[in-house]
Amino acid sequence: MSIETLTAPPSRWNGLLPLWRQTPLSFRIGLIILLIHFVIAATGPFWAPYGYSQMGTGRPLSGMSWAHPFGVDQLGRDIFSRVVHGAHIVILLSLSGTLLGLIIGAVLGLLSGYVGGWFDEILQRFLEALISIPFLVLALIAIAAAGPELSGNPVLIVLVVALVYAPRIARMARTVAVDIATRDYVTVARLRGESAWSVMRRELLPNATSVLLVEFALRAGYAPVLIGSLGFLGFGLRPPTPEWGLMISENRALIMITPITVLGPGLALASLVVGLNLFTEGLARILGRTVKLGVQ
Amino acid sequence: MTILKLVIRRSLMSVVTLLLVSLIIFSMLEVLPGDVASRILGRDATPETLEQLRTELGLDRPAPVRYLSWLGGLVTGDLGNSLASSRPVSEILAPRILNTVLLSVYAFLIYLPLTFIPALLQALHRDRATDHAFSVVTLVLLSVPDFLLATILLLTFVVMLPLLPAISLVDASSSAWEYLRAMTLPALTLAIVMAVYAVRMLRDNLIEVLDSDYIRMAELKGLSRRRVLLRHALPNALVPTLNVTALNLAYLVGGVVVVEKVFSYPGFGSLLVDSLQLRDLPVVEATVMIAAFVYVVANLIADVAAILLNPRLRNG
Amino acid sequence: MDAPVIAVEGLSVSYRQGAGFNRVVDDVSFSVAPGEVFGLVGESGCGKSTIALQLLGYRTPAMRTDAGTISFDGRDLLALDRAELDRIRGARIAFVPQNPTTALNPGIRVGAQIDEILGAHGYGEAGRRVDRALELFGLVGLPSRPDFLRRYPHQLSGGQQQRVCIAMALACDPAFVVLDEPTTGLDVTTQEQIVALLIDLRARLGMSMLYVTHDLGLLSQIADRVGVMYAGRMVEIAPTEELFTDPKHPYTRGLIGSIPRIEDKSGLPARPLRGLLQRHNLPKGCPFAPRCDWALPECFEDRQELATAGSAREVACWRWPEIEVPEDARALVESPEVEQAGNLLAINDVSVIYGSGRDAFTALREISLDIGEGETVALVGESGSGKSTLARAVAGLLAPAGGEIRLAGKALAGHVKDRTPEERRLIQFVFQNPDASLNPRARIAKALSRPLEFFFGKSTAENVTAALADVRLDGKYAARFPDELSGGERQRVAIARGLVAEPTLLLCDEILSALDVSVQASILALLQRLKTERGIAMLFISHDLAVVRMLADRVCVLFRGDIMELGRRDQIFAAPFHPYTHSLLEAVPTPLKPHPRREATRETAGTTPATGCAYAGRCAWQIGDICDNERPPWRETEEGLRIRCHHTLDELSRRATWPNAAPKQTEDQKVIQ
Repeated sequence: MSIETLTAPPSRWNGLLPLWRQTPLSFRIGLIILLIHFVIAATGPFWAPYGYSQMGTGRPLSGMSWAHPFGVDQLGRDIFSRVVHGAHIVILLSLSGTLLGLIIGAVLGLLSGYVGGWFDEILQRFLEALISIPFLVLALIAIAAAGPELSGNPVLIVLVVALVYAPRIARMARTVAVDIATRDYVTVARLRGESAWSVMRRELLPNATSVLLVEFALRAGYAPVLIGSLGFLGFGLRPPTPEWGLMISENRALIMITPITVLGPGLALASLVVGLNLFTEGLARILGRTVKLGVQ
Repeated sequence: MTILKLVIRRSLMSVVTLLLVSLIIFSMLEVLPGDVASRILGRDATPETLEQLRTELGLDRPAPVRYLSWLGGLVTGDLGNSLASSRPVSEILAPRILNTVLLSVYAFLIYLPLTFIPALLQALHRDRATDHAFSVVTLVLLSVPDFLLATILLLTFVVMLPLLPAISLVDASSSAWEYLRAMTLPALTLAIVMAVYAVRMLRDNLIEVLDSDYIRMAELKGLSRRRVLLRHALPNALVPTLNVTALNLAYLVGGVVVVEKVFSYPGFGSLLVDSLQLRDLPVVEATVMIAAFVYVVANLIADVAAILLNPRLRNG
Repeated sequence: MDAPVIAVEGLSVSYRQGAGFNRVVDDVSFSVAPGEVFGLVGESGCGKSTIALQLLGYRTPAMRTDAGTISFDGRDLLALDRAELDRIRGARIAFVPQNPTTALNPGIRVGAQIDEILGAHGYGEAGRRVDRALELFGLVGLPSRPDFLRRYPHQLSGGQQQRVCIAMALACDPAFVVLDEPTTGLDVTTQEQIVALLIDLRARLGMSMLYVTHDLGLLSQIADRVGVMYAGRMVEIAPTEELFTDPKHPYTRGLIGSIPRIEDKSGLPARPLRGLLQRHNLPKGCPFAPRCDWALPECFEDRQELATAGSAREVACWRWPEIEVPEDARALVESPEVEQAGNLLAINDVSVIYGSGRDAFTALREISLDIGEGETVALVGESGSGKSTLARAVAGLLAPAGGEIRLAGKALAGHVKDRTPEERRLIQFVFQNPDASLNPRARIAKALSRPLEFFFGKSTAENVTAALADVRLDGKYAARFPDELSGGERQRVAIARGLVAEPTLLLCDEILSALDVSVQASILALLQRLKTERGIAMLFISHDLAVVRMLADRVCVLFRGDIMELGRRDQIFAAPFHPYTHSLLEAVPTPLKPHPRREATRETAGTTPATGCAYAGRCAWQIGDICDNERPPWRETEEGLRIRCHHTLDELSRRATWPNAAPKQTEDQKVIQ
């Protein structure tokens, strides 16, 4: 036997279908729910029975019927159509706000964790302070600070979601960076004399992707709730936007008469969040991460 | 010695955090964009009312001076006067805070059994039907926003089973029974939201501890199942649980904003929303500072408790 | 043979994996006689720990017992319910875990943890239990003081924690003790103390034991019989001595052949086993067939059952009678007499201090060491001796508090960021843990091309293929991710990454210690080849003296940040020895070397005197106060071996007992010299 023979690598396993079969059930169900939502969001405006602000579609305050599965509100608008029209608004705002927060948070967190020192210390204290303000309260005062001209503007909502998420994501990314920064391959890069930016791009970011992905999914899962809460409290999008939280708030006074006008948008919102949460949990399991689903 | 140092260090950090919070809030609400007075008055502004408000707010002074005097007021308990009612802020806040504290205590009492019983059941029957069933229920409940949950509870207990009042308006003249009836639905909402989150964490923590080497060692020593669970597993799962509880307290501070609003409960959360709508800055600032204070203190207590409960540090 | 204490019959165990089950223990049978120590050996993942747990009737939720019985006290352990098992576990069969740090409950005082096992098995009232705990502590060489019982696990050293676990196992005078890799997580010297303790306890208490380990050398010292496992099957059972002198199964032969022998002066690398265990791809017949040099087509098809092969021997290989071992045909490598061609690296009076103020800790105390061009210098010492610190200081990861490091005559800046790119290129670092040294999200090609781009401005696919060929890896590996490589392959890539920068000095920090023995041997062969072919100087850090003996030109022995002994390789392995070097050599488990009878050593409190010898306090040959108070002088032999000790060289030679247990005469020593 010879020690010095060239070793050939074992063959690589591949295939997409077996991969799908190996995914956790929660992931598959979550993905299917999400796909339904995405399809509705993308195509809904083309097939929804009525326009989102179209009045007089039926008898005001009528309940469930074939023509109006989610009933009709007091202005005579068809709630089902409004829910369908609202899908892309809720999904787009949630995803873009979360994405913005993720980008800001990840860059800040990774750099701060790798560079350390004063930069890190000051940034951490500042982020800690932002996190100490309950996120709904922070969102509310941010909207108040933006002033009346901007209120109700979708861009403001996106910025507010990013503001609420960025510190939390940054703190998490920092923990990851601190952990990765002690790995030998980062030390090797440091010994080579790579710059901090290069280390972040080549070594930290690729290794943080799975954590960041799970974090994104987790946060995206709560964004519709945050946007809905703002709408519900009257600080989010303006009527007649068919945002689900806003609709729940609008029709809540009539819950005694037509509960379905509240439960319809509620079902839409809850199922989207269930889908996102199932997807997140499954994704985390696939990526070998643990995830704590929930508000904080 | 070292432990005292750790606690002091941790407390000082909390003070720094609170100072930064005050700075952030002040900057956001009073310094950042444009003229505060016109923002407060909005479209109803006339040059005279604007001028009057500016003097009232002391806007003629530079921002750092205003911040310091506001901060000084916060520390000494002088929170200024409400713009809407001209009453001292502290006078407005006091009964609201009391109401919210009562509500929170009630919510916590419901929360405890709602958390521990399912989590223990799940950990003991892990990967079996009970565990999976609870997992599904908690996941769905986790995805229901609190304002929707509140609305559904309202629908159930007020409309379908008319047991409880829809509106939880109480005041100083209300009897204890009225208070209790008024608080039940908001408290239940808060408790469910907190418990759902805590159950999942506690279950995972318990299972992590049950999977540890020392639990296996305890079983290999021939200790009974009961002793292994009560003496070896629970104490070690307690520290992470404290953390959950602190996080939940932090949630509570934000959660009351929505839930109190849904039930029109006259607490501190609905006060915040109302004063934001009235653009009553002194009240908003005071309320937000209190919310941050509760959050910071809750985390501080959890961390200090974790330090005290950790023999590694206790005898370090 | 007496009626066995415990007998395992046809045991098969599976683990749940995804939807199906994966067989990890396959039809294993063996028994242990009263007073006998049975060793169970095999590579990681061969199923030996699973068997250890089964002997206590323990299974994790993912584990399923498919078949078999374990008879103990006339009952089948596998058929008992939890309450019956609770009465046996700890009382009749006890367990010593692999990692005492995680096995002891961090929140309960060690005394209470012993007390509860006594309580659970009805060992009298509280007062008597405390007496028993104290007695047990004395037995295992821990201070039998009440205040020691009141300590928490984290207040004890790893060795002390393992002693607590052993005391716990002995608490109820069990008939049988299962030890699951009880020394794997410990330091070499601590490991030796624990083994000595176990040998001593066994002699005194006459216990039966099952000793599970991956370290065959260690078993030779403690086991009466050894069972060798491969991929869930028992492939050979033999009395220990016969196993070492006359192994029959090809796998056993390979295992024994790949152990580096410290007494071997040839400088030849141990012969590694070919290939790797691929669990998911086992043949129907003998699991070892793909790696076996004697395998015939039938081996892949026919299941090999354990069959008698001489008295008290069993082998699961039908070819054993015909196997002949070829002579080791490799030529002896002369230790290349490195002429001091030129000095490459000069470390002058370097001190490294961690922390500051009251917490300051001196990791290195005025170290001076030169490395010549193409020379391999080994740094040897236990963990905490400062050997890694020195390498990190040379690499520029830690700035020395005093002294200077010069590369080719030019002083190097303390921090790597202040060094020139050329200086950074000339010194390359290879780390201990191959799992952490490669970016898991970067393909191998990227790991190798980045330094090329960085230092030389460009990199081509040919460069990468050539770099892989240099470490004997196929070019196809370039497209792989690190997790698709084995530990040994990853370590080869890490070495290749260092080599592409064309360094003059390679810093190797324990690069073999995370690898299986058989893999170690092949990496070692690679390093030897690089040394002769490319003339790269190496600073080779290792706690393994057998490996050092094969690779190093010179050896530097460190203890608590101070050099104890420094000299050419052959001089280090011959008298006179520094007392610390001597204790290190004694600690090396060598197959079949009778363990020196000694008092089961006690844990010593280790405080380094500020002024005296760093080794004072641990030294077996300590003279007296002079060791504590005065820094010892350098003593130098005519050949240039330097020893830092208050003893004279003659005295040190006289006291040396290694490699034979009997002390030598000073005269003999002189003749040899």
